Amino acid sequence: MEQFFQQLINGIVLGGIYALIAVGYTMVYGIIQLINFAHGEIFMLGAYIAFTLVMFFPIPLWVAILVSMLFCAGVGMLMDVVAYKPLRTAPRLSALITAIGVSIGLQNLARMIWGAKPQSFSEDTLPKFFQQINPLVEPTSFLNIFGVSFTENAIQFSEGVSLAYLDLTIIILAIVLMVGLNRLVSLTKIGKAMRACAQNRVAANLMGIKTNRVIAITFAIGSALGAVAGVMVGVRENISPLMGFHKGVAAFAAAVLGGIGNITGAMIGGLLMGLAEVFGAGYIDSFIEFVCNNIGLGQFYEDEKISHSYGSGYRVAISYIVMIIVILIRPTGLFGKSSAHRA
Amino acid sequence: MQNNKTPKQQNTALLKNIVNWLQTLFRSKNIIFWILICAFPLFTFLTDGISSMFSMLGINLTLPSGDYILYIGVQVCVYILLAIGLNIVCGYTGLLELGYVGFYLVGGYTAGLLMRHAGVPYWLILPIAVLNGALWGLIRGAPTLKLTGDYFAIVTFGFAEVLFRIVKNEIWLIRDINGFVKDIPRASVFVWELNQNWQHFYHILILTGLVIFVSYRLENSRIGRAWIAIREDEQAAASMGINVSRYKSLAFAISAAIGALGGAFLAQFWGTLSAKTFEFWESILILCMVILGGKGSIKGSIIGAIIIGSMSEVLREILLRFPPDYAGARYLIFGIILVLLMRFRPAGLIFKRS
Amino acid sequence: MRNWLIALLIVGLISLWGCQPSDKKAEVTTETEANTDETEETQELTEQVKVAVAGPFTGTAAAFGEMIERGAKLKAKQINEAGGINGRKLVLTFGDDAGTDKEAKLVATRFATDKEILAVVGHFNSSCSLAGKDIYKANGIVELSPGSTNVSVCEGSDWTFRNLYRDDFQGTFIARYIKNILTKYKSVAVLFDNDDYGRGLRDAFTAEAKNIDLEVVASVAYDRENTDFSTQLTKIKSKKPGVIFISGLYEQAALIVKQARKLGIRSLFFGADGIDSPDFLKNAGISAEGTYLTTPFTFGAGGEEAAKVATAFEAEFGVPPDTWAALTYDAMGMIAEAIEKTYNKDAALAENRKAIRDHLASLDTPEEGYKGITGLTYFDINGDTVNKPAYVKVVIDGKYTTAPKQMPNMDAFE
Repeated sequence: MEQFFQQLINGIVLGGIYALIAVGYTMVYGIIQLINFAHGEIFMLGAYIAFTLVMFFPIPLWVAILVSMLFCAGVGMLMDVVAYKPLRTAPRLSALITAIGVSIGLQNLARMIWGAKPQSFSEDTLPKFFQQINPLVEPTSFLNIFGVSFTENAIQFSEGVSLAYLDLTIIILAIVLMVGLNRLVSLTKIGKAMRACAQNRVAANLMGIKTNRVIAITFAIGSALGAVAGVMVGVRENISPLMGFHKGVAAFAAAVLGGIGNITGAMIGGLLMGLAEVFGAGYIDSFIEFVCNNIGLGQFYEDEKISHSYGSGYRVAISYIVMIIVILIRPTGLFGKSSAHRA
Repeated sequence: MQNNKTPKQQNTALLKNIVNWLQTLFRSKNIIFWILICAFPLFTFLTDGISSMFSMLGINLTLPSGDYILYIGVQVCVYILLAIGLNIVCGYTGLLELGYVGFYLVGGYTAGLLMRHAGVPYWLILPIAVLNGALWGLIRGAPTLKLTGDYFAIVTFGFAEVLFRIVKNEIWLIRDINGFVKDIPRASVFVWELNQNWQHFYHILILTGLVIFVSYRLENSRIGRAWIAIREDEQAAASMGINVSRYKSLAFAISAAIGALGGAFLAQFWGTLSAKTFEFWESILILCMVILGGKGSIKGSIIGAIIIGSMSEVLREILLRFPPDYAGARYLIFGIILVLLMRFRPAGLIFKRS
Repeated sequence: MRNWLIALLIVGLISLWGCQPSDKKAEVTTETEANTDETEETQELTEQVKVAVAGPFTGTAAAFGEMIERGAKLKAKQINEAGGINGRKLVLTFGDDAGTDKEAKLVATRFATDKEILAVVGHFNSSCSLAGKDIYKANGIVELSPGSTNVSVCEGSDWTFRNLYRDDFQGTFIARYIKNILTKYKSVAVLFDNDDYGRGLRDAFTAEAKNIDLEVVASVAYDRENTDFSTQLTKIKSKKPGVIFISGLYEQAALIVKQARKLGIRSLFFGADGIDSPDFLKNAGISAEGTYLTTPFTFGAGGEEAAKVATAFEAEFGVPPDTWAALTYDAMGMIAEAIEKTYNKDAALAENRKAIRDHLASLDTPEEGYKGITGLTYFDINGDTVNKPAYVKVVIDGKYTTAPKQMPNMDAFE
């Protein structure tokens, strides 16, 4: 049971990250029906910018995150103006190829600038409660309420269940940003303009909405959220030129799962993908073992006649299978409206 | 409607069609093209000759060897075949397919495993791989018939990804990890093994020619027109009496079969297979060829495949002449070229007005 | 139409420029060299020998390719500064295989049919080495891999070598070390990389553990492209193992150690040579403290030569070298030595290539072996490197330190 709760926490954290990236895909798609493949690269750039900033300047991490958000918003808008704007009237798939080209270009550019090796934020640039502690020393808990103890870098719910402050921060950030975005889109003027553009760009333009500006702002917001996710992943895991590709593809799948073009859908989709991945990887092997033991193939399983690593081997595939099943049941994703956008 | 002809009439009609097609093929403009393609191996031998002549004169031309150019030629032909296969789904029925590499994989592993472990001869493998590919096309096609646009795209992507994971993880099936299949025997004609690059070249040229022929015939047939009708407006097509599910399934099956054909050739051409060859990136590459060339156009697919299939090697050759520090810039330039090409020819290099 | 003409023009220009005689370019480079340092030696090095390096300089394995490139560059630079190979300048050509079979085959064809290249150092990925094997064999050129671990890389070809040892020995060694020396710990969990290296090592380890009654409570795989290991670690955590054996490479190992500590896992970590890299210490930070690992060589305690190379490497590229850089450095050294001993200016290219192969194949006993910074390298009949001895190191205060207890003779405890 402890394992279950721990996996739940792992899944929610991963889901939060996916959701933050997926929003970028879904917002751009909602407005210009473009699968912005380069969004994963924005996410990667966000991590690298913050990393470089804290490396060379004595600034705290949150300042670096803000700067990186601004920078990525700028890059997102620039990308729109340079690469996608000339193709607004072109066939939709042409813009997709452009997006792929931008993605390949940015990925290789980052490799040439920062090197191919994965890098980690060095400990002293992080806030105290994100830092690691010496494993050889017993962790000290400075607060203990109802058996829940707070140590230097994690909340220990019980012996087997813990939540690092870093992971907690990711969850909180994801929730806050998502709710904020939701409010922005549904309450503000620019949000209204965005929704109008998503409905019908030409009509919106005729009604006096500066569609190009709205699109640029959409790119900026999506990219900024991507940057936040990038930095958090960079701190939690590591930074490499390929991180955008790996996480980006999963996040895109999450966006489609939730119904592409729908922001709430992207959040739920991201969470679902994260949970599917973690629970798939965590429980498939136990499940196979359980089945084998009950049908009298225990020894057979023990001798590794059946692979013991299905969980991790199919880790990514499991989330895609979940996604495929959901889409087959609901052909427009969880929250998508049936619209006849065709390739 | 079409059944009011007798079989004999049908046969003569078919014969007439073939004759017609052969006439178009050998029209003056096309024939030059075909002669040039068929003589490609000769040109590559010529490059060798020229550079050895110059080296005798003491001038060292840093030309790449003919064998290498020929190798790129074979690779490009494989891509032409794949691009034409993908064009059937992407171009004719207008669905965005992101998992074409899955069928390429099915063909490759069908051929690789059967040839390596069951000793089935290559010429028997070809139909088996093609049928297996078509089968997988139908398996994937059946549940996705109702999907449109990007939902279809992401399901195809997920499907290819699952296939990729299967060859990577099912060790009992592949008999090695990471999908390694080694020592796949080469194809042979009677007793002669086809192991020279020029032999591979003519081998794939015949297969590609066949696929071009089939694709061309399909495009101008009842089936092809049904596909295009589905692309333009699915509901209108259905209301005109076109069985949408049947024609879509047919497109999936044929497209998948062509992909598998490419995979089967690849298995014997390379002699080794590994899962990495069939990653997502490869699907994207083939998709780029189709769209860059011009969706729905056979000529476009061919040109797209030639450009993208050889671009990374051309860039390598150019960058070899720079100091080694620039060698890593290959794909950066690749990306920039993609963006620029789409910027100035947004509808593809060759496009048909619809 | 006009667009096509422009395109044709550009292609034409590029090819014209490409066909420019290389002698002219060589002149340019020697001139600039003569300008920069006016020693007489550099001017003498007008003749050159060409060796190719093939590796994944782009793509998913680019991090390894980068180190391979640097290792090769450093060795070539040192050789050329010391007067070249018999007075000839060693020139490197780099071929990017992007870690894929497709490009590996193309690179292999490009290099094997080149008219100057004498030998190829590469490829890194096992799949790439295997893909290139036939082509190198057919054209008669040496392929010396500094990174391919699959068992069958060298089988069936006289032209393929590797200076990387097979992993069976280390797996066995680690199992015995835990059983005999780290007696405090009763159970082990294995976390392995789902790839050749990780699997080979794990298989040897679990087989030996079964042999000597060391309890393996869990054996969990991970994929190299993943960066989040909390799921696997949570699974392991519930089994409460004393030792967690990471059968994988340092990049993932650093993340695993970090994430394990965040999850509150306080088991001892043990790794093999795959995690012996300064980057492991840098990326894992304090979490790496107390980690044991085996290694066939140590940059610090192993030898003066190795330490010197490590310093030079860091001075040149700003980062410390890792295992792959060191192995490439040695592979380059072996090829250079072979060229030095066998190169004949007047002989045909094929003969020179053959001579290099024969020289490498003759390194088949410890006495004949090549002494590099990664230890003594000599080949068995396949072209595989015979085991190098293992040392045990432990991370103390953020540094690799030789472990207090070594196990020099593995069989002594039986």
